[in-house]
Amino acid sequence: MDVSSLAAALPSLVAPTMNLKPRLAFPLHPFSARGGGAHPRGSVAVGCAHSNVPPPLRRAADEEDQGEDADPRLRLHRLAEEFRAVPEAGRARRLLAYAAALPRLGDADRVAANRVMGCVAQVWLVGRCDGAGRMRFAADSDSELSRGYCACLISALDGAHPDEVLDVDPADLAPLGVAAGTRSRASTWHNVLVGMQKRARAAIAVREGRSPAGSFPSLVIGRDGTVRAQGSYAEAQVSSPPLQFCLFSFRCLD
Amino acid sequence: MATAAASLRYFPSSLRKRSPGDASGGLVKLSHRRALSAARVAAPSREAEPVASLGDLTRVEFPILHQEFDGAKLVYFDNGATSQKPNIVMKTLDEYYRSYNSNVHRGIHVLSAKATEAYEGARTKVANFVNAADSREIVFTRNATEAINLVAYSWGLSNLKQGDEIVLTVAEHHSAIVPWQFVSQKTGATLKYVGLTKEEVPDIEQFKGLLSNKTKIVVVHHVSNVLGSMLPIEDIVTWSNRVGAKVLVDACQSVPHMPVDVQKLGADFLVASSHKMCGPTGVGFLHGKLDILSSMEPFLGGGEMIADVFQDKSTYAEPPSRFEAGTPAIGEAIGLGAAIDYLSQIGMQKIHEYEKELATYLYESLISVPNVRIYGPAPCKTDHRAPLCSFNVENVHPTDIAEILDLQHGVAIRSGHHCAQILHRTLGINASARASLHFYNTKEEVDVFVHALKSSIDFLTSEL
Repeated sequence: MDVSSLAAALPSLVAPTMNLKPRLAFPLHPFSARGGGAHPRGSVAVGCAHSNVPPPLRRAADEEDQGEDADPRLRLHRLAEEFRAVPEAGRARRLLAYAAALPRLGDADRVAANRVMGCVAQVWLVGRCDGAGRMRFAADSDSELSRGYCACLISALDGAHPDEVLDVDPADLAPLGVAAGTRSRASTWHNVLVGMQKRARAAIAVREGRSPAGSFPSLVIGRDGTVRAQGSYAEAQVSSPPLQFCLFSFRCLD
Repeated sequence: MATAAASLRYFPSSLRKRSPGDASGGLVKLSHRRALSAARVAAPSREAEPVASLGDLTRVEFPILHQEFDGAKLVYFDNGATSQKPNIVMKTLDEYYRSYNSNVHRGIHVLSAKATEAYEGARTKVANFVNAADSREIVFTRNATEAINLVAYSWGLSNLKQGDEIVLTVAEHHSAIVPWQFVSQKTGATLKYVGLTKEEVPDIEQFKGLLSNKTKIVVVHHVSNVLGSMLPIEDIVTWSNRVGAKVLVDACQSVPHMPVDVQKLGADFLVASSHKMCGPTGVGFLHGKLDILSSMEPFLGGGEMIADVFQDKSTYAEPPSRFEAGTPAIGEAIGLGAAIDYLSQIGMQKIHEYEKELATYLYESLISVPNVRIYGPAPCKTDHRAPLCSFNVENVHPTDIAEILDLQHGVAIRSGHHCAQILHRTLGINASARASLHFYNTKEEVDVFVHALKSSIDFLTSEL
């Protein structure tokens, strides 16, 4: 299925249908040996030369996954274990392989309203609740490594229940650092997770009949009751339907 | 380089005999020759040794540079963001807190007198370093950003009004732009931006055209942290003064790398940060002409900046105290003084000459990598190019490059907008990678960087 044209055809908040089994056409590249041992500094050849094609990322949305296997925290834990089993030099390559398999978002979704703020690269995230009450996510970035991070998070959280999404603790991401110790690129993981949780929170609010937007410090509420978004981030949020609903309900209170 | 290490024994000890603020570098050359002859004596059977570069000789004083990540030696090329500190600076900070830490200016006891003397001594060192006419023209701040805010709030709010214009370039750092946006919102003054030429330097002809009797202040960088280019400040001051406009110079990328003479430049205000010039974080300075500072309202209110305090009003101290509310970063200012001593003993002109060589070598090595695009003027098209290159590689995100360079090669560069979003938008890009060097870097490190860059590009593009 051509995801990009599908995404273009649908309103921006509807997640494009995901390829449930992403195709990985990733041969062992001759550079993988050269990039390592041939260079006297740093990266280890052995890990690269022996790295297999990484298994495709399975996601909670797969019909075969029921019950506990679909719990995002367990999936993240399993992903972390898979990463740890790979020699450090191979982890970046694995991320790039996941990135290659991640479908790209269409232009309609690569818009300011979907930007994940706080990332050095541009990252876009779409998320909504489907008819079965599960969260459906899709993401994209102009950076390949960021796409790899996104692919991992989506594999863990796409298809999960909103409450399960909220249960994920940013600390669960720590073991997934591509480099050992504290040199993980925490910000992209963390920011995308925060974005997913925000959308999960909005879905829960709608389900419970509440206003979907939480407290929002960047809104300026005037004495006359006008509500103004302050700053481009807030303005981008205002343009998204859940928050428009929130503003509408504010005005109705006058 | 054992001979370089052996020769270094002579190098730093001769430095300590130098008086601070002496930028001639003459004595340094003598000790360099002594160092070389020591090297020859040490290994008489060898062929003539390659001359140790300034980078080779000084990096021994910077312990942080000598570490490895996963077997790869650190190559620190993010000096535009912050510089590393020599042993003497850290020793000075330690000694301050260990033996004479005390609050300054008001105390009677011996510790306070010693701390005050050292703190005010640091102010004098800064004044000498930039050739200020009077040490009262140096105001210690937290950093250059705070110094610019000081001018914006203290001078800008009182002197700008609706219809006035503030001229900047699109290449300014956010810290030089945002405070003036606040002032513009509060006073009604407007901001005007000078664009770039096709050589990717600010357009001086356009600048001259923007000046009018509505222009009240011009805010410009001395050296650009992205483009590496230098602006003709003396000319800018001359043209600005003709229309009655003041000039504020952001010298963050020039003061650490070359001799800067505020009297020669003639600007009304000049700012710099300690942490970019081998000093500690937490301190920076504003140089302002004394008559202007004397006319300015206070910035922050509190202790130290007052003369007398009554219930309904207070009278304020003279500059610089008027602008230094509360307990300052005493140890840090003294540490900055030690950094200035260290830099002066090498000689800013010597540092500048070496970095010019590094700048050309970096640029030429980097441009030889396929699909690399460097921003800013080529070295042959400009008098001065700083030892930094902001660049992009076609079809590869700069953040991915920076990450692989870090993860697999121990090379530290920066990726992003470098606090210059307007400039990036003008160049038509979202982000760039930047390698920025300082005098303790070497050509060998540039070679390692370029090799690592090629390797990282291969790694990232082999998947596509």
